[in-house]
Amino acid sequence: MRFSFFHLMPYPHLPDNFDDYPSSSLTFPNKYFDPKLGNQLYHRYLDELEYAEQVGFDGLAVNEHHQSAYGLMPSPNIMAAALARRTERARIMVLGNAIGIRGNPLRVAEEIAMLDHLTGGRVDSGFVRGIGWEYFAHSVNPTKSRSRFNEAHDLIIKAWTSDELFQWIGENYEYRYVNLWPRPLQQPHPPVYIPGAGSTETMRFCAEHRYTYMSVYAPTRVVRRWFDGYRQAAADLGYVPDPEKIALSVPIYVADTDARAHAEAQPAVEWLFRKGLKQPMELVNPPGYTSQSSLRGLLMTERKPFSALSYDDLLADGYAVVGSPATVAARLAEMYDELGGYGQLIGLFAIGPSTHEQTTRSTELFAADVIPALRPLGVAADA
Amino acid sequence: MRLIPAPRKGGGLTTHAPAEEFLDLRDGRVRLFRAGQGEPLLFLHAAGGGGWLDYHQRLAARFDVIAPDHPGFGGSDDFGDVEAIDDLVFHYLDVMDELGLDRPHIAGASFGGWIAAELAVAAPHRVGSLVLLSPAGLRLPDHPVADIFLLPPDQLVATLFSRPPPAPAQPAQPATPDIDAILAAYRDQTAAARFCWSPYLCDPKLERRLHRITAPTLVVAPLQDRLIPVAHARRYAERIPAARLTEIDGCGHAMYVERPAEFADVTLTFLSEHSLGEHSLNGVIR
Repeated sequence: MRFSFFHLMPYPHLPDNFDDYPSSSLTFPNKYFDPKLGNQLYHRYLDELEYAEQVGFDGLAVNEHHQSAYGLMPSPNIMAAALARRTERARIMVLGNAIGIRGNPLRVAEEIAMLDHLTGGRVDSGFVRGIGWEYFAHSVNPTKSRSRFNEAHDLIIKAWTSDELFQWIGENYEYRYVNLWPRPLQQPHPPVYIPGAGSTETMRFCAEHRYTYMSVYAPTRVVRRWFDGYRQAAADLGYVPDPEKIALSVPIYVADTDARAHAEAQPAVEWLFRKGLKQPMELVNPPGYTSQSSLRGLLMTERKPFSALSYDDLLADGYAVVGSPATVAARLAEMYDELGGYGQLIGLFAIGPSTHEQTTRSTELFAADVIPALRPLGVAADA
Repeated sequence: MRLIPAPRKGGGLTTHAPAEEFLDLRDGRVRLFRAGQGEPLLFLHAAGGGGWLDYHQRLAARFDVIAPDHPGFGGSDDFGDVEAIDDLVFHYLDVMDELGLDRPHIAGASFGGWIAAELAVAAPHRVGSLVLLSPAGLRLPDHPVADIFLLPPDQLVATLFSRPPPAPAQPAQPATPDIDAILAAYRDQTAAARFCWSPYLCDPKLERRLHRITAPTLVVAPLQDRLIPVAHARRYAERIPAARLTEIDGCGHAMYVERPAEFADVTLTFLSEHSLGEHSLNGVIR
C-alpha cells in the first residue's frame, strides 16, 4: 500500500451569515477572503505537506479549484513547484490539472514537464475535467467538456512522447507547431491519475491507458461499484490491474483516542460536507456536463445530498474515517475488504477548520501507527 | 441539472392538439407542431423548450402555424453539427426549403427571436414579416441578461414571470422522481447551453448587421421582463429599418405563457397588416 497526503487548502474562515449564500463556490463573495489570513494559510498548508514527507508519506497531493473557499489552488502546478525543491523523496502528485477548462492545454504539458525536472522525476500528473461551477467560472461551454478533456489529454501525451515537431488540429484546439521543450524526465511520461465518479467511459479510458483510477467522495458501497467497473474494464482488455492502479481517496482524522478524535473531527467533517461542498445542482451539473447515460445512472443511484447526511451517516457510509490509530487502521482494513482491495490510499488530513496542531498530530499518528499496519495490504504480491 | 417549466407538460393550456409532424433533413429529424389555415407562420421557441400553447392556438385561428423543436430540443434530433447560431440559420433555411416555404412570416420568442433576427439578417429575401418577442441575441453590457443556467428553479420562475405563474394544479410529488422527464429537461438545457453558453445568449456581431433586415418587423417588449432587460427590445427596434416597437405593461419575460391572449392579439394585428402579397403565393414557392 502506498500512502499520500492530499491537501485541498480550504479557506475555513467563513462568515456567520454563510448560510445565506447558495455555495462556497463561484458566487461566494471574495470580500470574505482576508488576504492576511489567506497568506498565513498558504504557508501553513505547505508546511503540512512538507511535514507529511518527513513522517513517512509516499506522496504529497494537490489539486485545482477556481473561485471557491473550498480550495485555494487555482494553479496546482504552482503548489507543486513550491514543494519540488523543499522535498526529496515523496511523489509530488498533481491531482489534477483541470484540462477540460484550459484554454491552452499545451501549457499543462509544458508545466508538468518542468515539474518533472524540478522534482527529479517525482511528479504524478492527474487530469480532471473540472467541476461544473468551474465552467461558469472560466466561461467554458460545459457541453464541450468531454470533448475538450479527451482532446487535451491526447495532445498532452503526444507532446510529452513525441521527439519530432508535429501539428495538432482537433475539434477544440489547433497548434501548427508542437515541439515541447523540455521533454519530461520520466519516460515515456509521468504517471497519470484520473479521478472517477461512476462514468463507465472514464473506467474504460483508464483501463485502456493503464492509468491509476482514483475515487472521489462517495459511500463505500458506491466506490466498490466504481472499482469493480475499472477492474472489469481491465479484464475486458485481458489484464488484471496492479493494486496500486486503484486509489481510494477519503478524509481521515486521527487523534490519540476515539473520543478525542470524534470531538475534534465532527466540526471539521461537517464543515467539509455542509459548507465546503455546499453546491446546488445548478453549480455541480450545468447542462451538457453529464451525458444522458451517466445522468441516468446518477439518478438511479439513490444517494442523499451531503446536507441530508449526519456526521454518523458520513462515517458509517465511508465518506470519512475518524478515530484512534487502532480504530482507523481497522476501519481502513475493513474498507479494503469491502472495496475488493486498493493499492493506494490518498488521505485528506487537513479537513475544513481543523487547526494546524490537530492536522499535524493526525498526520503524525497516522504515519507512526496506521501506515505500518496497512503497508502490507494492496501490493502486487497479493494480487 | 435544470428543471425549467416545460410548457408542453403544463396543464390545461392546449385547447386542442395540433398535428405532430416530423421532417427528415440530411442530418436528422425535426419534430414540429402544426395547425391552422392561412399564410404560413414559422414560430421559433424560447430556450425553455418548444411545444404548443394557448398562444399558438390563437395564432392558428388565422395562420398556418408551424412550430418546430430546435436541434437537440424536445422531439427533434441532436443535429450535432449545428454548433452555433450561424449553423442554426442554415438549419432553418433547410427547414423552410423542406417545408416549401419561400417567404413565410417568422415569429420568435427570446432565444427563438434571436434565431429569427439572424435568419432575417442572413437571408432577408426569405422573411415575409418578422415578429420578435423580447428577443435575446444582442450584447448590451450595461443591460445584462440574467443567467438562465445558474438560477435555481424557483428563482428562474420568479425571473420569467411578472406575477406568480398560472399554477397548473400540481399533482402531489411522486414518490420517485420521473427520471425520463428529468433527462428530457436536461437535454433541452444542454441544447440551450450548446448555443447560448458563451458568448452568453448573444452574437456580438448581430447589432451592426441588423440594418440588413428588410422585412416589416414588430418588436414586442414586456415591460416587467426580468430576464432580458427591455433595453434589448428597444435596441432591436432602433437598428432594424422597418421596425415597430410595442411595449406591454404588467408582464414578464414568459409573455406568451403569462398573457397569451394579449400577445396573440398584438401578433395577429401586425401580421394581418403585412400580408405576404403578390410575389409569393401564401409564402409557398410557386
